[in-house]
Order: sequence, then C-alpha cells, then structure tokens
Amino acid sequence: MTGRALAGLALSGPLVRPVLAVVLAFALASILIVLSGKNPLVAYAALARGAFGSWDRAAVGLNRATPYLLAGVGVALCFRARVINIGGEGQIALGGLAATWAALHLAGAPAVVLPLAALAAGAAAGGLWAALAAVIRLRRGVHEVLVTLLLNFVGVLIVSEMLQGDLGEPGAGFPQSPLLPRVAWLPRLVPGTDLHAGIVFAVAVLVVAHVVLWRTPFGFRLRILGCSPAAAAYAGVAPARAFLSVMLVSGALAGLAGGVEVLGVHYRLIEGFSHGFGFNAVAIALLAGLNPLAVLPAGLFFGFLETGALAMQRAVGVPSPLLAVIQGLTMVFVLCAMGLRAARPRA
Amino acid sequence: MLRMYGITKSYGSVRANRGIDLVVPPRRIVGLLGENGSGKTTLMNILFGMVRPDAGTISVHDRSLVRHSPREAIAAGIGMIHQHFMLVPAMSVTENVMLGWEAAGRWLRPAGIAAQIRTASAAYGLDLDPDALVGTLPLGLQQRVEIVKAILRGAELLILDEPTSSLSPPEVAGLLAILRRLREEGRSVIFISHKLGEILEVCDEVVVLRDGVMVGRADVGTITREQLARMMIDRDVGASLPPERAAFGAERLVVADLAAVDMEGVERLRGVSFSVRAGEVLALAGVDGNGQNELADCIGGLAHPMRGRVFVDGTDVTEGGVRARLAAGLRHVPADRRSTGLVGEMTVAENLALRDVATPPLRRGLWLDVAAMSEVAARRMAQFDIRATDSGVSAATLSGGNQQKIVLARELASGPGVLLAVQPTRGLDPGATQFVIDQILALRAAGAAVLYISTELEEALTVADRLGVMYRGRLVGVMRRHEVDLTRIGLMMAGALAETPDAAALYGVGA
Amino acid sequence: MDVAITEFLAAALRIATPLLFAALGGILSERAGVFAVGLEGMMLCGAFAGVVAVHATGSSAVGLVASVLGGGALGLVVAVATTRFRADQMVTGLAANILALGLTSFLLRGFSGRSETSTIRVGTLPPLPIPLLDGIPALGPLLFRQPALTDVWRGLVLSMFAFLHRTRAGLTLRAVGENPTAAFAVGADPLRVRALAVVAGAGLAGLGGAVLSLQQVGTFTDGMTSGRGYLALAAIIVGRWMPGGALVGCLLFGAADALQLRVQGLRLPVSSYVIQMMPYVVSLAVLAGLGRTARLPAAIGTSFSREAH
Repeated sequence: MTGRALAGLALSGPLVRPVLAVVLAFALASILIVLSGKNPLVAYAALARGAFGSWDRAAVGLNRATPYLLAGVGVALCFRARVINIGGEGQIALGGLAATWAALHLAGAPAVVLPLAALAAGAAAGGLWAALAAVIRLRRGVHEVLVTLLLNFVGVLIVSEMLQGDLGEPGAGFPQSPLLPRVAWLPRLVPGTDLHAGIVFAVAVLVVAHVVLWRTPFGFRLRILGCSPAAAAYAGVAPARAFLSVMLVSGALAGLAGGVEVLGVHYRLIEGFSHGFGFNAVAIALLAGLNPLAVLPAGLFFGFLETGALAMQRAVGVPSPLLAVIQGLTMVFVLCAMGLRAARPRA
Repeated sequence: MLRMYGITKSYGSVRANRGIDLVVPPRRIVGLLGENGSGKTTLMNILFGMVRPDAGTISVHDRSLVRHSPREAIAAGIGMIHQHFMLVPAMSVTENVMLGWEAAGRWLRPAGIAAQIRTASAAYGLDLDPDALVGTLPLGLQQRVEIVKAILRGAELLILDEPTSSLSPPEVAGLLAILRRLREEGRSVIFISHKLGEILEVCDEVVVLRDGVMVGRADVGTITREQLARMMIDRDVGASLPPERAAFGAERLVVADLAAVDMEGVERLRGVSFSVRAGEVLALAGVDGNGQNELADCIGGLAHPMRGRVFVDGTDVTEGGVRARLAAGLRHVPADRRSTGLVGEMTVAENLALRDVATPPLRRGLWLDVAAMSEVAARRMAQFDIRATDSGVSAATLSGGNQQKIVLARELASGPGVLLAVQPTRGLDPGATQFVIDQILALRAAGAAVLYISTELEEALTVADRLGVMYRGRLVGVMRRHEVDLTRIGLMMAGALAETPDAAALYGVGA
Repeated sequence: MDVAITEFLAAALRIATPLLFAALGGILSERAGVFAVGLEGMMLCGAFAGVVAVHATGSSAVGLVASVLGGGALGLVVAVATTRFRADQMVTGLAANILALGLTSFLLRGFSGRSETSTIRVGTLPPLPIPLLDGIPALGPLLFRQPALTDVWRGLVLSMFAFLHRTRAGLTLRAVGENPTAAFAVGADPLRVRALAVVAGAGLAGLGGAVLSLQQVGTFTDGMTSGRGYLALAAIIVGRWMPGGALVGCLLFGAADALQLRVQGLRLPVSSYVIQMMPYVVSLAVLAGLGRTARLPAAIGTSFSREAH
C-alpha cells in the first residue's frame, strides 16, 4: 500500500478526530510552555511520569477517572439522543449529598448493604434532579440546556445549605459532613494503594451502556432519535418517553458518580468536592465521540492528566492550569470537527 | 414592459424550461397556469434573478437584465412575493418593511416608514397596521406585508407564486381586489397558479405551461375552462394498462371525515372520506399543497387529525400512532425518504429494520437480535435487488433508486394488508420508477389495498383502479378507470370542477 | 438605618455593574442567535488582560482597551467555532470557559516566573464625581460619585437599546436571530453578523471583567469571576433579552448578593445559600412561566447554512 493510501485509511477512522484534537491541543499548549521559558518535552514527560510513573500514581489517576467515566457515559447517551444535558454539576453534587445522608442515617445496615444503599440513594437523587429538568422541558417547552444549566447552581447551593445544617460537622472550619462510618466506605481494590472498587463498577457500567445502545431496541430507538427526529416519529419512537428515560439514566449515573467519589475517596461530603466534574463529563463524552466504550480511554485520559498536571507543576514548574487549557482546546477542536461532519450534505 | 425570450434551463437531465417566451405589457395581469413540474417556478426564479438561465434574454423597459441577481431585479422594478413568506414573526410590520431596505437609512425612522405603510395601505386596500407584530397577523395579512414591501420598493411588476394556497375564500377575494387596484395604478402582475377559477376571475390573459414548454396563450374570455384544463395536463396516456377489474374485496382502509391543520394552524384537510378495497389501488392526484401531505400524515400516524377516524381492516387506529398502524398491517412509504423514510447514517440493515425492532423476529425479549437483522437484510437485498456492497454500509452511500428500494423492501416485505405510498417515485430514474410500480401492482395482485398519493398524474393513471383528485383539502371527484377523462381531471385539479362523489365512487364496489 | 440602606444600595450597584456589562454583551450575541454561555470566560479574559496591561503600562486607559481585546479574543474563538465550523453553541461556550480559566491562571503564574500565583497589584480606578449632582443628599454620592465604568452603564443601556431598535445594523442583527433565512433573502450575511455580534459582545463582557479587576479589586486572582458570567446569562433571561430588562435583572441579582452578605448581621430567617439560589430559581421560574411563549430569539442555537437555500 502506498503511503497516501495508508494516510487516507488512517484519516478516515473514527479514532482520528479525537486523537487529532488532543494532539493539536497539546501542540498549542506547548507554545504556552515555551513562552513561559520551559521545555515542552520535559514538561510533558513530567506529566506522564506524574500520571503513570508508579502504581500509586496510577491508582490516584484511576480514582480520579471513575466519576468521569460514570458521568461521561451518561452525557454520551444523552447527546446521542440529541438531548443536551449539561446538568452534571448539580446531579453529581446531589448524588454525593444523598449518598452521605444514607450512609449517616442507615448506619445500622450490614457491611455489604450500606455502601450499595448509599450509592443507590445517590443515583436516585441524581436521577430525580435530571427528571425535574426533563419535566420542565416537556411540560413548558423550555430548552433542556438552559434548565439543566440553571439547576446546576441550585443543586450545588442545596448541598452547601445542607452542610450548614444537619449534615454539617460543627467546628470543622470548613463545610463538610462528619466522617462516614467505615462500613460505608468503598473497599480497596488493591491493598496498599488508594484504588477503590468504584473503577470496576464504572467499567461495568460502560459495557452495559454499550450493550444497551447497540443491542437493545431501546438503544436502537435512541440512536434513531439522535440521527433524525422525523425518522424517529416515523419509526414509532415516542419522543417524550425516550427523552425522559435518557435524562433519568444519565442523571442517575451522575448521581452515582457523586456517591462513588464520596464513598471511595473522601469518606465524607466536602463542599465543592465535585466542582467541574459535570463539565469535564461533557468534555469526555465529546472526546469519546459519544461512544460508551470510548468513554473509557477518554475518561482515563482526563483523570491521568489531572494527577499528572500537579506533578508536572511540582517537578518542572509549569503551572497546572495548563491542563484546563488542554481540555478546553480539545473540546473546541472536537466540537468543530463534529460541526463540520454534521453539516456535510447527506446523499 | 417585460420581455423574456427563449428562456431555457435544465437541471441535469430535467429540462425545466424549454425556449419559453413571455411578454407582459404594463397594466396587465397575466396568469401563469401549470401543474407541478411544468416549469413555472423555475421561470419566475430566473426572472427574479435567483437562477441563471442556460439561454434566453430578459429585458424590462427595453433594458436587459444580465447580472441575474435579486438586487438587479428589484432595481429594475420587479418584486417577488414568494409562496413561503420571508418575514420575521417577532417584528412589527414596519420593521419587516425596513429590513434590508437601504433607502430606509442607517438611522431608522420608524414613524416615517409607518406613515408610508399607512398611505400605501389606504391606496390599495391593504388594511395593515404598521405596529402590529407580523406573527400575530393571519396569513392573508402577512402576505400583504410582502406586497407592501414590494410596492414601497417601487416594484412595477409583481410576481405572485401560488398566492392563495394558504388563504381563506374572503382573503382570496381581498387579494384579487388588491391586484386589480395595482393594475389601475399602471403596474403589472404575473399570477402563478394552478387554480383556474382565480385565474379566470382576475387575469387579463393566461399562459399555460406544461413540461417546460409554453403550450398556449389566450386572452381570458376567448377560451373555455375545458380548453385550459386540457392544455394544462394533456398527455399521452396510452401505455398498456392492465385490464380493468370489475369488483374488489372487502374494505381494508377506511377514512372517515378526516380533517387536519398544518403547523401554522391553517386548515389543510377539510373532511375527506373514502375507502380502499382488497386488491385495489386508489390513486389521489392533485397539485402539491392541496392537503395530500396532511392526509398522508394522518393516515400514516405522523400527525393528529382535528377530527375523523382511520380504520385498517376494521381496527380503529386513529389514536394509536405509528405502532397501532404497524400492528394492524398498515405500511407507509413516505414522501421524504431522505429525512423520514431512511436514516442516512445508519446501515442498510438497520434501515431495513427501522420500524420493526419492537417485534419478533428482530426482538428477542429485551434484546435486539442482530444476527436476525443481518439475515433479514440479506434476504431483502436479494429479493428487491438492492445494490450495495453489503448490508453494513451506511444507507447514505446508496443511489436514490437503491435507497427507495430499501424503503419499499421494508414496507412491502411483510406482505401488508394496506399500503400508503406517497410520491414513491420522486427523484427516481425510469428503471427504478418502473420497479416501484411493478412492486405496487404485485402487492395489489396479492390482495392488499393501496392508497397511492402522487403529483405525477401519469403514474397515478398507470396504477389506478380508481382515481381521486384533491383540491383545497377535499376530494373533488373520484372516477373509475373507464371514466377517466383528462379534461375533467384537469378541471378538478384546477378547482374549476367539484363534484360530490357518491358512495360508490368513494367506497368502491365490493365483490 | 439610613446609612445601612445607602450602603446596601451602594453594594448592590457595585455588584451589579460587572454583571451588566456582561449581560449587555450577551444580549448582542443572543439576539443574533448565538447562546452566550461563554460570558464567564470572556469576563475572565478581560479581567486578566486589563490587569496585565495596567501593570505593564501604568495606564488605566490602556488597561480598559486591553480588557475589551482580551474578551474579544475569546469571543473570536467562539465565533469561528460556531459560525465557520457549526460547533454546538452551548458546549462551545462551556469549552471557552474552561479554556479561559486555564489560560488566565496559567499566564498569571507564568507571568511572575514562578509556579505559585503572583499578586499583581494595581490601583483601583478612582471615583469620578459629577459636579453638582453629587451634592444631592443620600442619592448623590451613590449615583454620581462612582468610578468611570459605573458611570458608563447608564449610557450603555440606552445605547444598546438605540442600536438594536433604531439602527439598520441592529435591525439586521435581530432579524438574523429570529429568522436568518429572511435576513439572507434581503442580502444580509447571517454568519458574518453572528460572528461580529459574538465578538462585540465578548468585548463588552471583557469590560465587565475589567470592572471587577481594575475598578473593584485591584488585582487578578484565579477564576475571580466565580460564576458571574452565568449570573449575567440568568439576568438576560429574566430581562427577556432586552437591555432595560437585563439592567433590572442585574440590579436585582446585585441586591440579592448584597443581601446575602448581610444576612448574618440582619438576622434574617433565611440562609445565605437560599438567597444565592434566588437568581437562578427566578430565572427558571421566568422561563418555565413563559414556557413556549418565551421571547427567545426564535433562531437561537440553530446553525445557518447557505447551501440549504
């Protein structure tokens, strides 16, 4: 095969867009690094070392990625169905709140049941919050983007409010809940590291999401809805029901993410624990091309980047906000590519 | 004032205009009569500078128009009132008039423009309130906003494209009165329509287009309706038609008093009743926009009727949506295969399964049986000769003909009891067209009832056991094959003849 | 009591001012049909650029110009992505906010040559008393002895209204936001109009950021806008996409924020968090109440393509 043919083959794959976007983002970011007087290659090497340099580092990265995987696949499913749900921030926060509440108030429950019940509470809270947005959309015709965006702030503030009241720990100096009973904590996957069992759970969810999307009538209908609302009506898809379902599911997944973060990492509810998670989930869903299975590499990428960025700052002195620059640029590039593709005339 | 000579325009193999001459003197209302595909819209788009002709000249007041742009046309005094208004509903009449009007200046003076609107409104009987929000106006008044826009920009020749399609009878009368006033003022009008009654009422002369050619021109009053109607749709309907059958089976599709409005709330379907029997094809002809789309959507389950019921093999499916109709055995080949009938991004196999994933064999409990889907797809592709590499390619990569075959395969393969086919041969080459017709006739032979809605009169005549004509949301006539008379059909399509079909015509003759 | 009320009003006005600049900028963008989700990032860029420019040149005027350019630069990114590439407007705005956050924080540190944040101190803009008027008891100092940017808002609201409703350019902009096809049919270029509106609005938002960093605080800190851009978006909604309405919305939100800061002292029965929620809840209520009749620009969020015509 000639080089051109190979290049053509490579450029036509579905992997190309996100990879190209990431590479471009890193390239542009390296300009910034150069401007600040450092060597990009050295910086990125430190980034990589900080991300996967040791098992400990890798464990932190995996933990970081876990809520992203859960929330990200929920957003991906929504976007697939043309539902722009950007309410992750609020749904995750409320999920953490509900999980905390359950863990504190159901302390009598046995060892296996308590964390599961707390996670279920988190999922329920997130799902309900998303359902609220869905109902407003369905009943009043308000675009779900605006509703979910606004509800984010309300959700986060509710959490802050609750931390001032019953759930708060007086005298803590910082809004947080009391430490959760040990029984509620998510078990460690690898003893000696921080890695908690949430990652396994998250990966399982991704696989289930993939299967649902491609191997069930429900997923088939979602995909039709995302491609063409007119064809969906013709195919007998009930748009309101599909909309509500996908919002519930993604809200529940986001709530689960919040619960996992509380029960697996902090062991208490801390104000602002999920700041930025929801928007990152959107970025991850986009990077994954809205494919549930691809959410795994995308989410891991984000998770590892975050741990690596702090290390990079410590080791080389390149400020960690560079990470946000890379994330933002990646999102913009992927969005442009998606916009171009959608605009291409169909036969 | 206006002279168009030798206008020729082709779109690929379709010759939309073939050497058309058109002369419009001042103080004249000229009617342009023709059915779908006659070339009238293309001709007017060329006149207004939106389309460049392959050959021919246009001159206004002996000055040639060469740049072919709307700006040039407007500057020359031509104003176009499109069928679909170019208005901003959230803005007032005054603001809509000011939009894009350079003479209104950089700093807007709405009061001045409003005064101009009032003056023009009084002079021509437009009855417009400059401060009203366009979105709150009935369609008849919205159209007048377009008219006042043209008048204020100094149009001497106004082109109105199917202006009465959304108007109620009083609004039509109002419009015609306005056109007469414009003529008194010395302006001219080109009135494009397929409606004979209106043309004969207001025009001074009428030009008939058919298949891209001007087939006749006469002063109103020197020609009869019948002659005009015949000119409009005359064609060779020789073609070997299958022998007519005398009687058919039980009623399989029954439509009772169906009425519906479109998205803007305009009543488009005004109470239609008929039935189609087993082994029969009922074809509905008529110019596009007379309620056929609304009728198809209501029968197919894509829209809710205002009143009326739909029965398939005795089951009332009116409220049940698409699922009830599928369950009852009604299949639907929609008019728009690109955005409704198919999903371009999905594979051929997925498109073949598009409407049936909720039922076995494609569905196994909670799961989608992907293997069964492929197997079914392979069979259908062979059966219907769908040319594609395999069933896993995306449907958008197939040719138009093959895409339509996918739709047909999906809708016909299960041997439906009732088929609703809307414009099934649109955009297809002759070979593919013949294939579609053969499939439909085969379905008929198998005992199904077929409702065939098309603006292509020839096809309708080829397949029809009974032929009905839709005009302004009603069935204005239904005739058996042996009663087919082109003149009558033309008159019906042009709204010049409306019968109240009797029960035998509407509901057919049983075995 | 009197003094407390005057102080309260002064605080409300102070909090509302940056919001207003951002909201007016957002109105330009949204009336042209582009969701202004990126206001947060645009304010941030403007705040940063302003501080850096003043620090480098010592001139407030240069700082203000720089803030407009800073906001406008981010606006350019959003404009190109949404018009040329038809990227989804909402999510692009989010991406722009993330990008701005990272970029400004990065440059802040890079600027000082160290990896911790540096503190750039610039003097805040002095009040510009308007003679005579500022002598009016109680209201005088409040309304007429404010730094320059706060004075500007009065004229800005009127100018914005005049632009939108009394100039041909404004009419075209509104038409593009309602029905780009109609605008296209009369010779406008909807994509160009949208891009210009986004960039101009971004510049205004950048100025709003300068109000924060140059006029009120005197420095730049990480993410100092802390959600004001989203509040401005909420104000646009509450104000039903009109300049005067946005003014009212911003003042209301400013009052709410000023109230929540004083809740402890005033011993109100309601918590500060609940008050902070109010702007968002009110916006939601307005949206839900208006429902489908909300006078959103009809074509907002849609992309426009020439080929379809």
